[in-house]
Amino acid sequence: MMSSPVKSQLDGVTMPLDHPPTATDNLQRLLNNRPPVTRCPWLGELRQRGLALASEQTIPTARDEEWRFTDLSALLNTQFEAVQEPLVSPNPSELTTDYLANTIRLVFVDGHYASHLSDVSGLPNQLIVTSFSQLTPDQYPLLQNYLGKQTGNEEVFTALNMACLVDGALIWLPPNAIVPCPIHLLFISSAFASPLAAYPRCLLVAQSGSQVTLVEEYKSLGAGVQFTNGVTEIWMDDQSMVTHVRVQRQNNQAIHIGKTAVSQGQNTTYQSVSVGLGGVLGRHNVEVVQVGEQSQTLLYGLNVSGEQQVIDTHTSITFTRPHGTSQQLQKAIAGDRSHTIFNGKLVVPKAAQLTDASQLNRTLLVSPKARVDTKPQLEIVADNVKCTHGATVSQLDGEEIFYLQSRGLPIPYARQLLVDAFTTEIISHIPLPQLGASLNQAIRQRVNHPM
Amino acid sequence: MSSSVQTLVNRPYKYGFVTDIESDTIPKGLNEDVVRLISAKKNEPQFMVDFRLRAYRQWLTMDSPTWPTVTYPPINYQDIVYYSAPKPKEKLKSLDQVDPTLLETFEKLGIPLTEQKRLTNVAVDAIFDSVSVATTFKEKLAEQGIIFCSISEALHHHPQLIEQYLGRVVPIADNYFAALNSAVFSDGSFVYIPKNTHCPMELSTYFRINNGESGQFERTLIVAESGSFVSYLEGCTAPMYDSNQLHAAVVELVALDNAEIKYATVQNWYAGDANGKGGIYNFVTKRGLCQGANSKISWTQVETGSAITWKYPSCVLVGDHSVGEFYSVALTNHYQQADTGTKMIHVGKNTRSTIISKGISVGHSNNSYRGLVKIGPKADGARNYSQCDSMLIGDNAGANTFPYIQVQNQTGKVEHEASTSKIGEDQLFYFQQRGISLEDAASMMISGFCRDVFNKLPMEFAVEADRLLSLKLEGSVG
Repeated sequence: MMSSPVKSQLDGVTMPLDHPPTATDNLQRLLNNRPPVTRCPWLGELRQRGLALASEQTIPTARDEEWRFTDLSALLNTQFEAVQEPLVSPNPSELTTDYLANTIRLVFVDGHYASHLSDVSGLPNQLIVTSFSQLTPDQYPLLQNYLGKQTGNEEVFTALNMACLVDGALIWLPPNAIVPCPIHLLFISSAFASPLAAYPRCLLVAQSGSQVTLVEEYKSLGAGVQFTNGVTEIWMDDQSMVTHVRVQRQNNQAIHIGKTAVSQGQNTTYQSVSVGLGGVLGRHNVEVVQVGEQSQTLLYGLNVSGEQQVIDTHTSITFTRPHGTSQQLQKAIAGDRSHTIFNGKLVVPKAAQLTDASQLNRTLLVSPKARVDTKPQLEIVADNVKCTHGATVSQLDGEEIFYLQSRGLPIPYARQLLVDAFTTEIISHIPLPQLGASLNQAIRQRVNHPM
Repeated sequence: MSSSVQTLVNRPYKYGFVTDIESDTIPKGLNEDVVRLISAKKNEPQFMVDFRLRAYRQWLTMDSPTWPTVTYPPINYQDIVYYSAPKPKEKLKSLDQVDPTLLETFEKLGIPLTEQKRLTNVAVDAIFDSVSVATTFKEKLAEQGIIFCSISEALHHHPQLIEQYLGRVVPIADNYFAALNSAVFSDGSFVYIPKNTHCPMELSTYFRINNGESGQFERTLIVAESGSFVSYLEGCTAPMYDSNQLHAAVVELVALDNAEIKYATVQNWYAGDANGKGGIYNFVTKRGLCQGANSKISWTQVETGSAITWKYPSCVLVGDHSVGEFYSVALTNHYQQADTGTKMIHVGKNTRSTIISKGISVGHSNNSYRGLVKIGPKADGARNYSQCDSMLIGDNAGANTFPYIQVQNQTGKVEHEASTSKIGEDQLFYFQQRGISLEDAASMMISGFCRDVFNKLPMEFAVEADRLLSLKLEGSVG
């Protein structure tokens, strides 16, 4: 699959490319440009594994089922430089408005830990909330069984992230720890002069009986082109509970490809609220595997796209043991010439009897040129299960608008009210009112501009 | 309950006999000469030879699809007989001269072709291996200008119609099996309904594969001129062989302004034995073009046979206000695999489509619904409603749903719902409490599950389909 000049590039001998960049070349270019790992040399082995996995692949095209509707040409047409060292040291005052009150906060700039922006004061004992680079050598072995151990590492962007890993956030909850306040992870990508690539990473290990609320947020500093390729791994031991809020609001030039991989033990509850607003291309893969019995997965998602954005969510919930339940509500609003994509997979093998899974996908098209591709998908082998899914696509209901008009509301308000109602069903699941309010505002701005 | 559910009793396939008849069979294998030979045997006009060769050359450049969730060993296309026809004793002048063995065969299949025993009000075209052996009620239909004959006959008598419409809805390069069919199709039915004509009877084609080494590649073309109506039904059976036979058909429907075509299939090809040995590979391309305004195409299918079913009867809704419908029951048992569904492509304004799909998987079978609803940028006011329900009987059966929804027009409205469940134990218990045996109760519930689809079949066939289903399921529950 690889042409020979590319191979020799790998060996360190650079040969000129006499043909236009292809998918392989571009992935290779990203790999050739991977940032050196300076602060966490112990990541070397993992990076090698990632490099080996990624080198075998190409950037997916429309011929790959998982990427059929997602146009990656933006990624192919730009030459990204990796961030060797944190380039910008953002002025804290620029960011303070984004800080959530009463949280433990870790800030990463272009994948590198920014200690001067982070606030981990008041951490209870035994609880580890830090960056990989802050770990002491006796702590490395802790990670060995978890970091990069979720399934799906062979997926091209997961492998790329692994190959280019320089730092990451670590949250380690000892048994029965209940974290008193939410943990806020802020991943900032800077986008100024030249297009940069960043590879943020997060590892959350919730040991049995522990509980935490994690807020993972991706933002941009600057309005230029950038590529963010993040991976979050969540390990949940028996009886643990994780509430995971993920907000992607990078600038509208950004390419964001993120993955959340969750492994749920017995009797666990994973609740996720994922909001995608930013990026010329914003892709989020969610892969939940229930490895223990009687687990519960709750996924709420909302994507709001405008301009020429492509916002894409792929989720998959795999049940492997009996008595699992899942509930999923995935919504999208597409305006302007934007393109919204959803693929939701439920996999119920034979062992997962008595599964109860429901999935609903609703899309609102608010502009004549907007486009949606959605595919809810059931793969079921167990017979004693209850699985349902539904999908709807429509515009705002004329009769509903008329009803509100008849009550004296002008059309823009009526539309606003209906859009608010549509999004509230998701946003209301975010346990931080401050964040909810700020997201509501951002969505209103996006949907409100003339359509 | 769960243990008794697994008690699968194998009901013999009653159509599995082989007719011993002398046939005109060409050697195995496929190349340009074979394509020419088939064409020559049928004495076809030049445009057909060109059409076939174009398709054959196209086919050579294509690969068989890998995306369906079915598995089968690679097919050796050189090991198939592409033309096999019962040897005619002499030139046929009327039905009375059809080989009595053949008449007997079809009688045994429940399709009497002789004058006195014909099904009232159903005209039948009977196809045996590669050729059409008889068409009933042809003259009566011709009085109204309706053409109902085998496609080879149509090629001689109405070549202009064939040339105009063949390959229009399913182009030769459409997919691997459509290209293969276009190159080697041997026979099939042709229906032409003139303007403002309501076809007075059900038209029906009965397909029979007899030769164990031959594939069947038939082609059906139905053209409904503006303001006309036709209801068409096809049925199919095959003998039991240990080997797998390939059936790759193409069906094309064209409905002009205000025309309506109802197309129903009761597919009961041999499905292989309880261990998954033998059976037909049913790789079929069916597509209807609602070309005219207010036209309507409705597909109804009851899929119970075949080792593998790969089939997506589709509607391309080009005419404004045109309507597409798809009603399907797919039952798989033992090791059968079905990957079936529909495509509704909305192009014109205010087009509407409805999809009702019911899948029942039993034993080790695998049943997938794969559907596409596409609303194009110009399809203002398009509307779709889809419902796919799956029922699983036994914990080794699989049910998958892959509905693709693609909307590029904000005024479009699409609703899709799907569910997967098993027969409710509470409901079964209720039946039993009322003195109804477990088996009867399950059978009633299954027939209730399929009711929405059976209601769309012509009366006689709805009864037949219901019976077929209960036969297939006998012993699966209880």
